[in-house]
Amino acid sequence: MSAQDDLPKLLGDCVHCGFCLPTCPTYVLWGEEMDSPRGRIHLMQQHVEGAPLNAPMVQHFDQCLGCMACVTACPSGVQYDRLIEVTRAEVEREHPRSLKERAIREAIFRLFPYRRRLRALRGPLLAYQKSGLDRLVRRSGLLERISPSVAAMERLAPPLGKAPRLPEFVAARGERRATVGMLTGCVQGEFFPGVNAATARVLAMEGCDVVIPKHQGCCGALSLHSGREDEARAFARRTVETFESADVIVVNSAGCGSAMKEYRALLADDPAWAARAEALSARTRDLAEFLVELGPRAERRPLPVTLAYHDACHLSHAQGVRAQPRTLLGGIPELTVLEVAEPDLCCGSAGTYNLLQPEAASALGDRKAVNVDATGAELLVAANPGCSMQIATALERRGAHIAVAHTAQVLDASLRGLGRDALVGRTS
Amino acid sequence: MQPLDALAKVCDDVRTGEPEEGVLGVQPALVAAPASVAEAAEVMRVAAEKGLSVIPRGAETRLDWGTPPERCDLLVDTHRLDKLIEHASGDLVAKAEAGLPLETLAERLEEKGQRLSLDVPLPGSTVGGTIAAGAAGPLRTLYGTPRNLVIGLTVVRADGKVARSGGKVVKNVAGYDLGRLFSGSYGTLGLIVDATFRLHPVPTATAWVTCQVDGPQEAHDAVQAVLHSPVAPSALEYIAPGTVAALLEGVPDGVVARAGQLVELLGGKTDITENAPDGCGAYPDGTTLIDVTAPPPSLSDLIGVVNSLGNGVAMTWNGSGHGHIGLPSGLSAEEVAGALSALRDVLGRHKGGAVVRYAPQDVRSEIDLWGPVPALGLMRRVKDQFDPDHRLSPGRFVGGI
Amino acid sequence: MEPVLKALALRLDAMLGPDRVITDPVRLRTYECDGLTNHRSTPAIVVLPDTAEQVAAIVRACAEAGVPYVARGSGTGLSGGALPRADGVLIVTSRMQRILEIDIPGQRAVVEPGVINLDVTRAVRPYGYYFAPDPSSQQICSVGGNVAENSGGAHCLKYGFTAHHVLGCEVVTPDGELVELAADGPGYDLLGVFVGAEGTLGITTKITVRLTRVPETVQTLLAAFDSIEAGGTAVSAIIGAGVVPAAIEMMDALSIEAAEAAVRCEYPPGAGAVLIVELDGPDSEVAAQFAEVERLCRDAGAFEIRIAADDAERALIWKGRKSAFAAVGRISPAYLVQDGVIPRTALPQVLARIDALSAESGVRVANVFHAGDGNLHPLVLFDDSEPGAAERAEEVSGAILDLCIEHGGSITGEHGVGVDKSRYMPRMFTDTDLDTMQMVRCGFDPAGLCNPGKVFPTPRLCGEVPGVRKGPHPYEGKADIF
Repeated sequence: MSAQDDLPKLLGDCVHCGFCLPTCPTYVLWGEEMDSPRGRIHLMQQHVEGAPLNAPMVQHFDQCLGCMACVTACPSGVQYDRLIEVTRAEVEREHPRSLKERAIREAIFRLFPYRRRLRALRGPLLAYQKSGLDRLVRRSGLLERISPSVAAMERLAPPLGKAPRLPEFVAARGERRATVGMLTGCVQGEFFPGVNAATARVLAMEGCDVVIPKHQGCCGALSLHSGREDEARAFARRTVETFESADVIVVNSAGCGSAMKEYRALLADDPAWAARAEALSARTRDLAEFLVELGPRAERRPLPVTLAYHDACHLSHAQGVRAQPRTLLGGIPELTVLEVAEPDLCCGSAGTYNLLQPEAASALGDRKAVNVDATGAELLVAANPGCSMQIATALERRGAHIAVAHTAQVLDASLRGLGRDALVGRTS
Repeated sequence: MQPLDALAKVCDDVRTGEPEEGVLGVQPALVAAPASVAEAAEVMRVAAEKGLSVIPRGAETRLDWGTPPERCDLLVDTHRLDKLIEHASGDLVAKAEAGLPLETLAERLEEKGQRLSLDVPLPGSTVGGTIAAGAAGPLRTLYGTPRNLVIGLTVVRADGKVARSGGKVVKNVAGYDLGRLFSGSYGTLGLIVDATFRLHPVPTATAWVTCQVDGPQEAHDAVQAVLHSPVAPSALEYIAPGTVAALLEGVPDGVVARAGQLVELLGGKTDITENAPDGCGAYPDGTTLIDVTAPPPSLSDLIGVVNSLGNGVAMTWNGSGHGHIGLPSGLSAEEVAGALSALRDVLGRHKGGAVVRYAPQDVRSEIDLWGPVPALGLMRRVKDQFDPDHRLSPGRFVGGI
Repeated sequence: MEPVLKALALRLDAMLGPDRVITDPVRLRTYECDGLTNHRSTPAIVVLPDTAEQVAAIVRACAEAGVPYVARGSGTGLSGGALPRADGVLIVTSRMQRILEIDIPGQRAVVEPGVINLDVTRAVRPYGYYFAPDPSSQQICSVGGNVAENSGGAHCLKYGFTAHHVLGCEVVTPDGELVELAADGPGYDLLGVFVGAEGTLGITTKITVRLTRVPETVQTLLAAFDSIEAGGTAVSAIIGAGVVPAAIEMMDALSIEAAEAAVRCEYPPGAGAVLIVELDGPDSEVAAQFAEVERLCRDAGAFEIRIAADDAERALIWKGRKSAFAAVGRISPAYLVQDGVIPRTALPQVLARIDALSAESGVRVANVFHAGDGNLHPLVLFDDSEPGAAERAEEVSGAILDLCIEHGGSITGEHGVGVDKSRYMPRMFTDTDLDTMQMVRCGFDPAGLCNPGKVFPTPRLCGEVPGVRKGPHPYEGKADIF
């Protein structure tokens, strides 16, 4: 049965109780029913019952961040994640978009899934203008939306030192406990090379041989979460092939990990790929998830830092990974982990959301920044590159000087005994 | 037919009124004492037919509250409506007729180890009168006033029809809650004939913890300390000039432990006693009684004003943010008005207010008993619906209602 | 759209700005029902005011145009109390979300009506306080909605209902005026009747709530019994012993099955009923009483008793209970929730009769209830794709309410009458009773524009008051002598 046929049944699970409302970022912002999961499900129902997919409907579907907080909150087990994906695919297929919208969407999907093109974004604006990036990307106005985030992120990245170029293989330190494949991710790889280096080191120090296939491409997360199903399937097939021989694929970017765990549904209707996709999804692990399963072995050295941990939606809601990062961080001597108020509320990054819905995204970013700032922490830890960029930008806007790092970098600093300056050196 | 004869046909206890039965000096022409709800309804129907103004009377403990009635053709006395209709002890519920004195009710309930958690500041008060006056005592800290304890109410309307609201289950949101509307309505909306209350078990142990305080700030601090402590007192009272008292109720071990906690918290001059301290639970002495709404943060200001009013001014205050002030006899209307306006000034800043319950007749006619009444227009419209001819306790209530 | 509505929409638009007024049909339809989906009606206009003054202006505009209006908070009501009018305006308070004042010394807070119930508690919890009413939907229901419905919750057994925790309300009356109603002011206790009037007397725009001190100790146990009867015996024994628990909740086998499927609450396998008993208060009190409750449960035949060791374990015990309604969606395609109340002592008889009803009709009924106060939530299960099933379920549901009334109970303990149960009101009250209640409504809303068609099966004609006077109002001038 295809997802489309499934729709009425999936919609029927909703009993209209409203428990999803307070977890929905757009409902929290605007208080409007049609910008809540319950309202969007109602709109989907209207469409199933024959109402045409018109501009107001599409607007409210587009305004969904896809953070999946509602999935966690739902007592009736409504699979909103499936619902919005199916709906988005239909929107992409059937709804004509304006020229401007098309331009920016095209630009995003010509840029982000390709690391070489992303590389041109690093450095001052001038650099990209010279870079010969494709004209569409330059003319779409996308760069102007991205550049403040890139700049803020670069200022707030932890001073762990220059990231080394990753080899294809990193050998385990000490006795080998596992062999893992590692996904480097497009945005993570280009904007946060230090995170990937830290991830590989931590895995190795915990006794893993780490295989980092050189020719890995985009996992397709952005496409999948934006309704570009065919494009997502193509990326998925390639990723399945790349990692087919790995026992475990460790992913340090929440959005990528969540997409790879969804391959089984994405390729379910494709007889040639269904089983292979299922197998890959089953072997995919978030870094924190994997390290907790593996159990700690390397010595944790003290790290007297007060940090706030941010739950990335695609980690907490989509993958259910909440306790593991806290367990890992909590295991570091002298480290204090603080909780951020409204932990379930998305920061507004949400894949491409901050590029497509900049106003809502920035309101949510500001709200998150206020909550992060209120903790008094000196370091913010998040396990998704989008979140890191988004929150870093918002913190910068309100003049809050809080360093931003990935769980892997904190572990790396502890395992290597680098001390607090490696993480918060610039701000303290 | 004359009203007396018409009434006598439906009620076997009807007579003409005596001068000493006057309601604030207004002598009733007739007095009827129905013995059942049906009889009460008939009496009210006849009163409607004859256009008689009606004032309900219980044990007369608060008949001197409020403003004098414009007229009183018929006093409906509820003393024969004195049955405990039902005590469903397993459900912690009792239904009693309006004329039943609260002390009698308490005795009956106690047989099953239960109570209505309402104090009786004026001995003899009846079920109906207490509801109509919205009266409560120290236990209001934890249990509130009649509005919180009445779960069902039967009234006879101005036209003689019997109407019920609520029921005999505690948890019930079917229809409007007329029990709350009639609480404190001074007999101006209808004749209360029976009420159903939620009950509580009689605690197995009680203790009063009493602390002497010196001045407004100490009183305020002691009250705040108790309010924010976890000991959960059933009553918290301030009794001028310098006593803060808390009632603890529960199981023996619990009460002992909590009393110990409070003594430690309040320090110094603190005692644990079996009985309430003097003056607790009664209205303060005086010929003018002022009822004040005074939230806890206003206590020190309130004490300040009371102190400024001079000697002989008595005061009690409850942690629920409600108090009483008694002014001594011999004050002129101007002096009482001055005291009132001082109180209203201070309490107004705390979203509180002051209402005069009783005062000497010459004073009462010269002062504003009620103070500002928000939503008065709405109240008049509600009154007009219940009593379009303005025959029920006319003129006894706010804004001439 | 009717011309009068079109004109009103334009006026509201000019007043509030275009993004506060919804007239697009697709968007309007998402407001067609609240938490109860068997009644639907798409409003003509939805407005999302930000301030009390805007609410007052909207109500005035409706009054002038003679257009009915309905207020809605988070839309989680279970009696259709916020069901819109197709010919009217839906006034949504979800943007009025500010907590205006927290006064810890005075143990109160002032909030706007759209503030979410649990957010009040979240805001005052650092000071050791909370907002006591805790309906199962507390994570999303609004305080304004709580006021309208006089919401209870599992803990109202000890702490009472919203009416006992609201000290004052600023209200927009049906003539568009802003007035203050207080629990403890001079004059009638209009607040007392406003709370629980299901939005038929006006719209609250500011609420002063009482804050309750967080108890020193909370102790929760879960007791599993073979049968509902055994559980009922335990409840009677606990109440009979003079214990006033914060909550006593019971679930039967079918609702346990649903909760298990939804949230994996891991209640003892094979239980015919589970009882959740929570005691709170000072350490010393709770310790003594908790031991007694445990003993009474064992005496009544509990085969397993679990005591929550910490907040996480307590949350797990409650999780099954709190999710029970929505969880029933896992074991049945559709269901009706009832909210009847009976005197607690009648529990055994009534539950046996419900069993019999269920057996006779072949309609499954899951029971979840606030056992301490006799508030039943029978969940009547049916398959909405099967012809006639909904009608049979409706019949069983109605018969259960009749049972409640027969035993001296009520048709609703906390969900309200709304549009769903107004037809049962005449079974519980006489015409005179209902007419008397509606006198209040006529006083507040003689034009009958404020949430019409709710609570009462038939409206009272407010103009038919006997002895309507002409000329100046008899009170005129009387209050002004001062």
